[in-house]
Amino acid sequence: MRLTKKAKRAIMIGLIPALVIYIGFAIIPIVVSFYYSFMEWNGFSEMTFIGLDNYKQLFKDHLFWNSLKNNIYVLIASVGGQISIALAIALLLNRKLKAVKFFRTIGFMPVVLSSVVVSLTWSLIYNVDDGLLNVVLRSIGLENWTMNWLGDENLAMLSVSVTIIWQFIGLYMIIFLAALQNVPKEILEAADIDGASEWTKTWKIIIPTIKNTIFAALVLAISGSLKTFDQIYVMTSGGPNHATEVAAMYMYTKTFESLQFGYGSAISVLIFLFSLAIIIIANKLMGQKAI
Amino acid sequence: MRIKKVTSKRFFIYLILSLFAIANAYPIVWMVLNSLKTADEFALDRIGLPEGFAFQNYIDAWNTANFGSFFVNSLIVSLVSVVITVFLGALAAYFLSRFQFRMSKFIYGFFVFGLLVPVHATLVPMFILMSKLGLLNTHFSLILPYVAFNMPISIFLLVSFMKSFPKDIEESAIMDGAGILKIFWSIILPMTRPAIATVVILSFINNWNEFVFALVLINDPALATLPLGLQNFAGQYETNYVGQMAGLTMALVPILIVYLFLEKELVKGMTAGAVKG
Repeated sequence: MRLTKKAKRAIMIGLIPALVIYIGFAIIPIVVSFYYSFMEWNGFSEMTFIGLDNYKQLFKDHLFWNSLKNNIYVLIASVGGQISIALAIALLLNRKLKAVKFFRTIGFMPVVLSSVVVSLTWSLIYNVDDGLLNVVLRSIGLENWTMNWLGDENLAMLSVSVTIIWQFIGLYMIIFLAALQNVPKEILEAADIDGASEWTKTWKIIIPTIKNTIFAALVLAISGSLKTFDQIYVMTSGGPNHATEVAAMYMYTKTFESLQFGYGSAISVLIFLFSLAIIIIANKLMGQKAI
Repeated sequence: MRIKKVTSKRFFIYLILSLFAIANAYPIVWMVLNSLKTADEFALDRIGLPEGFAFQNYIDAWNTANFGSFFVNSLIVSLVSVVITVFLGALAAYFLSRFQFRMSKFIYGFFVFGLLVPVHATLVPMFILMSKLGLLNTHFSLILPYVAFNMPISIFLLVSFMKSFPKDIEESAIMDGAGILKIFWSIILPMTRPAIATVVILSFINNWNEFVFALVLINDPALATLPLGLQNFAGQYETNYVGQMAGLTMALVPILIVYLFLEKELVKGMTAGAVKG
């Protein structure tokens, strides 16, 4: 269709408001983050240009590396916990069962809840004296197993990760269930006739068919784990003694509590670049645009 | 023999699925049940069923913690953002999906790129930007980023839906002499209703649950949204467990109702965004 001048003007008018808000409040902040990251600045006084000093300092900052290590902990927990449990549940649900819809609904429920609500609920569960977990352990005579789940440096990361896993299993479950609908029935029937066991069918037919979805879910879990913030902020604020501090949490503390706006921006930039790199590498590996 | 084996396998499957369902639901059920106990009752029994309904917890949480105002703030911010997102998003999606012009592919890609932008990487500049605009501690400081960050997924969902309409819709309408915006309003928009429903529910839930922008951009307790208010309340009344649980339950129930009634739309929106972003 050839567009008249009038039509072109209408297009401009239609696109501009959405573009302005999107560019102004999602794109420009990223660009500005880069700019601030070359500055020394407490957010109020004059900025001083210091080149790459923030980044140099960052590479020597063991608390920053510690926070990245915790991101990797969340990443491994998400990939290991969320994807594997979600896949197992989806495989079990993908058959003629009476209560499929019920299990789907319950399974996805935590995903729609606010992470603040989820984290506060789990904080109560982990509470040393009155929390569900320790109370149950005590009542079944496992007094020795009661722990300070969020207060113990060696346990806190595990406890927080369990909450994060709990919250998002449902998301991957639904994604896998949708993919399982596309596994061709004829092939499965043919395998039945050949007397293939369910185990064989799962590993030889079903998993290879939904390979791309599993891969997409992996990328999603990885990039999601780099964004972890809410649960940590609410449950531990990064403590005890930085044991649960993730990169976004460290960025927040550096910026809004230590008022090192330039330094905080440098951390932001690295979070952004890491996320972008993961998506780009994933797309290259897939050889197509899966994400 | 074979039947027996099949039954025991079924039993095993149901067992695992039931354990999964319990693990998913029980933390929430536990919290809701305990929100109905008095503080003394909770101190004695933290697992059992409540003896009565201690609605006093709810009244206290509502009054002392200002839950009423958190609700209103969350509603205002979420609804206004949704209306702006849907209206501007649908308009943009209409032009991006139904017209071919030089920059259309690029602009679409540029919008969808937003799915990759991590919110945390924008916090510092967003804070500075809002303080320069004088918008810190106003509803607008949340509405603007909420619109911006819901735009990519909205445009993605709406464009893919609008693309599926047959090509001759506009042409026949143009012959009738209807203007481009009129076609949008009276033909395309009504046809897009299912996708709009998905976008509305998805962005509403995103906004309702959002925490980190509210944390950074809102200091005034009178303007706090529900997640921020809940977090502050839990910090202040750390040992008032039943009160916290009452507050959490109040925040939970509206979302659960929306979820149970609009599950299909919500799941569609959330997983589309997930696989895309």
